[in-house]
This record gives sequence, structure tokens and C-alpha cells, in this order.
Amino acid sequence: MDEVLVAEDIRRQYGDTVAVDGVSLSLSAGEVFALVGPNGAGKTTLVRALTGTTDVEGHVALFGESPTAVDRDRIGLLPQDCTPHERLTAAELLDYYAGLYDEARAIEAVLEDVGLADTADTWYENLSGGQQRRACVATALINDPDLLVLDEPTTGIDPAGRRSLWHLLSGLADRGVTILVTTHYMEEAHELADRVGLLADGHLAAVDAPDALVAEYGGQSKLTVTGEFGETVGSDLPWPVEQSTGQLTVYEVEPRDIGAVVDRLEQVGADYGGLSWSEPDLEDAYLELTGRDVTATAPLATGGQQR
Amino acid sequence: MSRVGRIESELTAARKAFLRRRTAVFFTFFFPLLIVVIFGVLIQTRPGDGGLFTEPPGYYVAGYLAVVVLFTPLSRVGSEVARHRSGNRFEKLATTPLTRPEWLVGQTLVNVGIIGLAGLLVLAVMGGLTGTTLVLTPATVAVLALLVAVGVALFCGVGALLGSFADSQDGVIAASNGIALPLLFLSETFVPTTLLPEWLPTWLSPLTYFSRGVRAVATSGDVSAGATNLGVLAAVAVVVFFAGALALPRTD
Repeated sequence: MDEVLVAEDIRRQYGDTVAVDGVSLSLSAGEVFALVGPNGAGKTTLVRALTGTTDVEGHVALFGESPTAVDRDRIGLLPQDCTPHERLTAAELLDYYAGLYDEARAIEAVLEDVGLADTADTWYENLSGGQQRRACVATALINDPDLLVLDEPTTGIDPAGRRSLWHLLSGLADRGVTILVTTHYMEEAHELADRVGLLADGHLAAVDAPDALVAEYGGQSKLTVTGEFGETVGSDLPWPVEQSTGQLTVYEVEPRDIGAVVDRLEQVGADYGGLSWSEPDLEDAYLELTGRDVTATAPLATGGQQR
Repeated sequence: MSRVGRIESELTAARKAFLRRRTAVFFTFFFPLLIVVIFGVLIQTRPGDGGLFTEPPGYYVAGYLAVVVLFTPLSRVGSEVARHRSGNRFEKLATTPLTRPEWLVGQTLVNVGIIGLAGLLVLAVMGGLTGTTLVLTPATVAVLALLVAVGVALFCGVGALLGSFADSQDGVIAASNGIALPLLFLSETFVPTTLLPEWLPTWLSPLTYFSRGVRAVATSGDVSAGATNLGVLAAVAVVVFFAGALALPRTD
């Protein structure tokens, strides 16, 4: 596939702080790539590096050209903190950005896409936080870009609006638009992205398809039981366990095996209040890769196969 | 979209954004009128009596116009740049076809319109309250209009520099006041050179050429002298305008 974006060994330092260090990645046409990491991981600096709005060491090319030389009609950017003219209406805001491009989409259609058709004539400052964010997303869509770069697009948007935006972005990707999105919502990255880059302390810890990352780094499924147990409650279970005060975690348990765990709890007269079963996810993979594995904080394993 | 189209889009958005800030609009027009009323009516000029206002009323037309040409672009463009910086608007604009000079042209045109209106108001009020008569021929009016437009462009450039280098909107306002006040009184506007120390290089201030040009055409009808000062002002304006445009940040 054609490479829309290529970055090689990107590095950006602010004083003594290295914000991005040695990041390399490439995006193909129509691909959705999610950069995932907590606040301070370097996502926004990397976005600025890739869009040419900050100077970096290393090489960046968009459509084969430098970010500052590329045809800007082909790029749509949503900065992380976007506060446009507060006293323009949503429609006027889009009209303003539309006027900066050679060709632009119909304003009404873009407002419809982001769910702001009914508030087109409301001043930006009078929109709700989620509506403001959607108006900002709309400014990135107005020129019908080939490469869409969205820095935390769903921050402040309610769950329904978030899913609606995911649907919109998926549709754009199906039409061949390449999308780079940053987020700290793992669910969002998993839902949206063809590939995910896990960013920590300015480094890309891993890049792969979400399922592949989870399979490789996410660990096992687990059953978490809360209640009051004796120290040996998990000793006879044929699965790895961890036990702490008020919580028993049983790993590698399939849903069909949950009954066996419950039987064991009943046998020993455990007073358990809740059970929850979960599969590993991107958050587990991220925590594993960055050395902050939540499961490692659970001490006092007793019985069974120790982890 | 053509360059003209992009500038028009910037101009339209900036104009609407300004006109919807009622307090800013009110004081943009009220401030210069206040100056005319205080200096021209309350204090009044007393030619030959000594003191600060020793010249005939017509002398001060340059000063009254300088108030709007100097203060409004400095504070408006400086604040607008600060607002753009805090809202990451320049980061967004850097990925659009709009260039930094085009952005500043759009902002400057809005200011030329606003200050043109404020200038007309100042002249009308001045004429009404102080009885000053100006030499108004097509040539003098044309040079006067150009002096105002070029002066606005120059100080829009300075405002862009201030907004780009100050670390906050408060800093922009403080810096613009700190620059504007000495310029206003040391540029042959309100205070004639005879009342200033001989060593003071008033020729270094671009506002001096604005004052001389306005005075030449508006009170003496000397179009040639007005045009000469306009030329100097324009040369400085070109340099400062592009310096201001290039200083605008792509991001912070």
C-alpha cells in the first residue's frame, strides 16, 4: 500500500525533558492508527512533529513531502486544545475554515456528520463542552482531507457521541482516508484502530494490531472474586491465583470453568460478594509493556500455582 | 481558494469576532473621544501661555489620530495573537493554506476599517468641540487616509511581535501600554519638539512621521511633505509588518 506518513527516528527535546525519543512509524492509505498513552507520554508532541508544527530531529514525510511543504488541502488537524473564535456560530466557524481551502465540503453536511446540525447557529462559547469538541472535529473534516490527524478527539464527549464519532471515522477510513488518532481511552483505540502504537515516556513501546498486542502482552483472562476468605481458599484450584485481603484473582479461567471456582468457594464456606470475569485488553498490554502491571501490585498469593 | 479568498475569510471571521465583543467595540471608539474631550475641551490649548498645550488646536489633530492609530492595533492584534496562542489556533492554521502574512493582512484590514471609523469620529468631534478647521482636498484626504492605513499596518506588525513574544495576554497589554505611552508623547504628537530635550531622537519613532505627515496635509495642505513622511512610514511599516508576520508562532 502507499505510505501516507513516514516518520523515522523522531526526537524532540524541551530543555532537559525529552518529549519524543527515537519514534519511527509509517501509515498506509486508509489505515487508522491510534497512538495510545497517558498524559505526558508524548502524544501531542509527536502529533506536532508529524504535522510540521514543531521542529524535530529525524525525518518526517507526508505524501512523500516535508510536512511544511505538503499540499495542505490534503491534511485535516484537530489540535488537542482547540479554542476557536468563541463568538462565531458553529456554521460560521466552518465557513471560516472552508474559506481557507481550494475546495471544501458543504458546511451543512459536515455539521450533520458531527451531530451539530441543530446547533449550527449557536455561538461556539454557548455550546456544551462535548459540542465544542465536535465543532473542532468538524473543522478538521471541512476540507475533506486525505490524512486526518486527531489529537484526543473524543475528550469531553459523552459515550453516545463518542460512539457516533467512531462510526464517522470508520466510515472515512472505509473511503480511503488515513487517520492518526491519539487517545488515552484504550477501548477507543481497540474499537477504531487497525494498528495501535503504545507510547510511554516518549518511546513507542510497541506497534501492532490491537488484538495482536493484547495476545502478546495482555496476559490471561481472569476471574476476580471479592469477599472474605481463608488463606487457603485457592489452594486446590488448578489455575494460577493471587489473593489479597478481600480479593481472590484466578487466572486463565474460561467462562465454562467459573462453576468450579464457585463450587470451591462453597466447599470452604467462603463469604463471597461478587464475581467478575474479564479478558485481557489493551490496558493490560500497556501496563505490562511500561512496567506498571496492576496485577503485580497484588501480594500474598497463597495456594495453587503461584504467578 | 485564492490568496484573496483566504484573506477575505480571515477578515470576515475577525470582523465578526470583534463586533460581537461589545465592551471592546465601545471602548475602541470611546477612548479616543475621551482624549479629545479631555485635551481639547477640558484642558484646552493656550497658544503663547506656556504649559503643555501651547500650540493652536489644529496642531493636535495628529495627536488625536495617533491615539487610535497607535493604541488600538497594538492592543487588539497583540491580544488576538495571545488568544490564538492560548487556543492553539496557530497550530491549526499552520496546517491550512493560510500563511502567516495572510493572517496578519486579514487582521490589519479589520483594524484599518475600525480605526478609519474611529478616526473619522475623532475628526468630527474635534471639529465640533474645538472649532478646528482642516484642509480637506481630494489630495490631502487621500494622503491622510493612507497615513492612517499605513500607520495601522505598522502598529499591527508591532502588535504581532508583542503577542508572539509576550508570555500571556496580560503581558501583551502591559507591554503595549509600555510602548505606546512614550511613543505617543515623544513623537511630535501632543508635545512639540521645542518642549523636549534637544538630544531626544524623536526621528527614531515611526509615529513622528505619522504626526508630521498628518499635520502637513491636514493643517497646512502640504501634500508633498505629507507624501514624503508617508514614504518613510511605509518603508518602516513594510519591515515591521513582515517581522511581525514571521514572528507569529506555528505552535507553542
